[in-house]
Amino acid sequence: MISKSLALKVLNECLATGGDYAEVYVEETTNQSVELENGKVNSSSESKSYGVGIRILNGFKSVYGYTSDTTQSSLMNLAHSLAASYNGARTITVEKIAKKRVNNINKIDDHLIDVPVEEKIAYLKECTEAAQAVDQRIVRVVANFSNSHREWELFNAEGPVGNQINNTEERGRMFLLAMAVGEGGKIETGTTRPGRYDGWHWFKEIDYKGKSRRAAEIAIQSLTADECPSGVYPVVITNGWGGVLFHEACGHPLESSATSKKQSVFSESIGKQIASKLVSAYDDGTLPNEWGSNNIDSEGVKTRKNCLIKDGICKGFMVDRLNGRRLGMEPNGTCRRESYKYEPTSRMSNTYIAAGKDDPEQIIKDTKLGIYVNDFGGGSVNPMTGEFNFSASEAYIIRDGKICEPVRGCTLIGSGSEVLMNIDRVGNDVDLGQGNCGAASGSVPVNVGQPTLRISAMTVGGRGGKLE
Amino acid sequence: MKVAKFFELAKANGIEECQLTISKSKTTGFSIFHSELEGFQISDDISIKACGVVNGKLGSSSTQKDGKGCFEFLVEGILKSAKISEKEGEASIFPGSKKYHKKNVFNPELGNTPIEDKIKTALSLEKEILAYDSRISEVTAIQYEEKETVSEIYNSHGLKLKDKGNYFIMYAGAAAKDGDKVKENYEISYGTSLSTYNKDEFIKNLCDGVLAKFGADACNSGKYPTVLKNSVFASLANYFIHSTIAEEVQRGSSFLAGKLGTKIASTKITISEKPLLPNIFFSYFDDEGVAKENKDIVKNGVLKTYLYNTETAKVDGVESTGNGAYAGGRLATSYSNIYIKGGKATFDEMISGVKEGVYITEIQGLGTGMNPRSGDFSCQAQGFMIEDGKVTKPLTLITLSGNLFKMLNEVSGFDNNEKLTLSSIICSDILVKQMSIGGK
Repeated sequence: MISKSLALKVLNECLATGGDYAEVYVEETTNQSVELENGKVNSSSESKSYGVGIRILNGFKSVYGYTSDTTQSSLMNLAHSLAASYNGARTITVEKIAKKRVNNINKIDDHLIDVPVEEKIAYLKECTEAAQAVDQRIVRVVANFSNSHREWELFNAEGPVGNQINNTEERGRMFLLAMAVGEGGKIETGTTRPGRYDGWHWFKEIDYKGKSRRAAEIAIQSLTADECPSGVYPVVITNGWGGVLFHEACGHPLESSATSKKQSVFSESIGKQIASKLVSAYDDGTLPNEWGSNNIDSEGVKTRKNCLIKDGICKGFMVDRLNGRRLGMEPNGTCRRESYKYEPTSRMSNTYIAAGKDDPEQIIKDTKLGIYVNDFGGGSVNPMTGEFNFSASEAYIIRDGKICEPVRGCTLIGSGSEVLMNIDRVGNDVDLGQGNCGAASGSVPVNVGQPTLRISAMTVGGRGGKLE
Repeated sequence: MKVAKFFELAKANGIEECQLTISKSKTTGFSIFHSELEGFQISDDISIKACGVVNGKLGSSSTQKDGKGCFEFLVEGILKSAKISEKEGEASIFPGSKKYHKKNVFNPELGNTPIEDKIKTALSLEKEILAYDSRISEVTAIQYEEKETVSEIYNSHGLKLKDKGNYFIMYAGAAAKDGDKVKENYEISYGTSLSTYNKDEFIKNLCDGVLAKFGADACNSGKYPTVLKNSVFASLANYFIHSTIAEEVQRGSSFLAGKLGTKIASTKITISEKPLLPNIFFSYFDDEGVAKENKDIVKNGVLKTYLYNTETAKVDGVESTGNGAYAGGRLATSYSNIYIKGGKATFDEMISGVKEGVYITEIQGLGTGMNPRSGDFSCQAQGFMIEDGKVTKPLTLITLSGNLFKMLNEVSGFDNNEKLTLSSIICSDILVKQMSIGGK
């Protein structure tokens, strides 16, 4: 994408003032998107994101710059301006660049970028019809398919021999929103949003019509659901997307961008118990073709399966090169960024609580009075205090071991360390759900995941008074 | 860039009329951690968007790859997306407004101040924060960024518009420790001139804010008269403004459909859009090149207008209100400088009659806790109790819930504590008769 000889010049310009690591990240991404409103194409677009990001590290310091002008003079200028932040003498001269082979663990034969837009439109029409057929009160269905094809190239060096790494990332996602209107003009919605680092066949093979129908059913169900009660109750959380709880309450505070500066509740937790003994958790960027997977990370380190918690004991963090220096830990393939416009840092990929031994149905059966959460809208967390909140988009009351009436407007709040300790049942049905996670280095695709699990006591916020 | 070449190429490819938008930005920023310059960032970026009409349908495309092949990519993109569009109605490119209220808000002095001076300012800020109180244990981060933007619009009818702006933003986070309890707070300052940054007030807000959180607990669940801090009210009000977007109304997604000219809020509520205020959100034309004007959206509780682009205006048979925005290949709607009229009372005067109430200073999770269509919301909150007209003990791990539209009908009043938030809303602290608080 840029020549090796130019990369060599730029890296050496970067390292002229004492920097001990430099990298040049070149990216060209094509994004395609098509959206239907009530079955008719409302918009479509093809756009190109293109530019270069340059980073120079010096001990615990980093400088970062980017530009969409990739000419030699522009890149040399940027490197020079960035290097001017350091005032030392050169310690590294890069003499040559060697190409590093990247093992492709996310094989794709039927690239989404080659699929004619007419085929995507036909697919989305089927999704729309499935949702519309659920009930006459479904007045609006928005169906979108978007996919990205990213080619990137990284040149980096921390010694006389630099590396050249080339990688391709391809992801696609379907999104459907069904809107229902009820009595008095009341409006409720349901969504489905499956995504994957894969080809067109996957989207055709999943039960896309069933998922679309389900989105419409949720919208209809919410029209008549009661307000969620408030108070402290046992909460059973569904598998798959339910793992957003772990992502927020535990995943973010285990990123080294938080732990390396002692700005996380888990900064000093390695080797200590931070969760119930039933909990083991991993961040695994190597799951083939999963939404959050990658062949290699943004600073050229191979992705891997990192153990975060084993039987309740904290075992590790997501570590990138810079924060790893503060921690005295090796980077473990978790450095990510949204695009060349973001300085990369440690982020989650596919992060999940591992399967336990319980039959999920038995967990419900053993709950006398509580809340069952089947879908979350999302949530956020303060990594320093561990306080979080989630909003449930689909929830029910559990009475005498049975899932009963649906409730709406349900928020779960608490602190990560407490909730993790309060997990008292873990199912054997681990699954993953797709999300986009926004943090310092932008929005990146992540899978959250878990089996069905129960939290013995959790604060539930809603407007429906006390649960009886 | 030779824009004439683009229009020639578009014409030769059967694009009837078209528009080209070029946005350039330059940023410089740095971060301080534990008395050291920890990070430094610079950038220089361009984005080129094009849209055009083919057989009455709108097509669009965008790229950041300037140079050879750029115009070909854009023209091909327009042709492709126009071809598959099933949107009803004849699309057109807005030729231009009769009059534009151009102002120069660009402040050259900001960029001319050497970055070294700004770093020094930030380093001394860190020292002063730490010295404020012995319980302030750490300055978790200081970040500074300044940005220069230039946006240009050209169309095939000969329109040429250019707007240039700049701003700075300063962020500091602090943590305080008391025994084994750690609390956090942050403060942000922004503007077009560093002279608007008031260091003493910045430090006081940051430090008083974090120290006040010690001893925080949940209150009893119930309904309370509730004061929302201006920044909290702005976050909620943003969803209200969103439901005045004509596109939402026309497709039945807005609670405000069919309510034009009717009373939809307390008579105490007056909301205007003032895009021409000379602040960091100033702009005098929208993405379609329509001249922006100041206007009332809600006056004394009565809904006066929806927000239109040229496409949604055509549907209702009105003029665009200058709120057009191209986003993700389609013509959408946006707004800036929403001004919600405040009151005359001070904060203390406003709460003097509240016997037992709640003062909400922060909320989290509204993005997922708000149903923007029904206005129902529930989110995590922090704040204070109000007892006998005074702010008393701090609150944490509580939830604030209610209905946005109902809330705007139950307004007791505002104080005069006006703030421009980063969501481009200017508003004061508000007292609402009753809201649901979930706690113990």
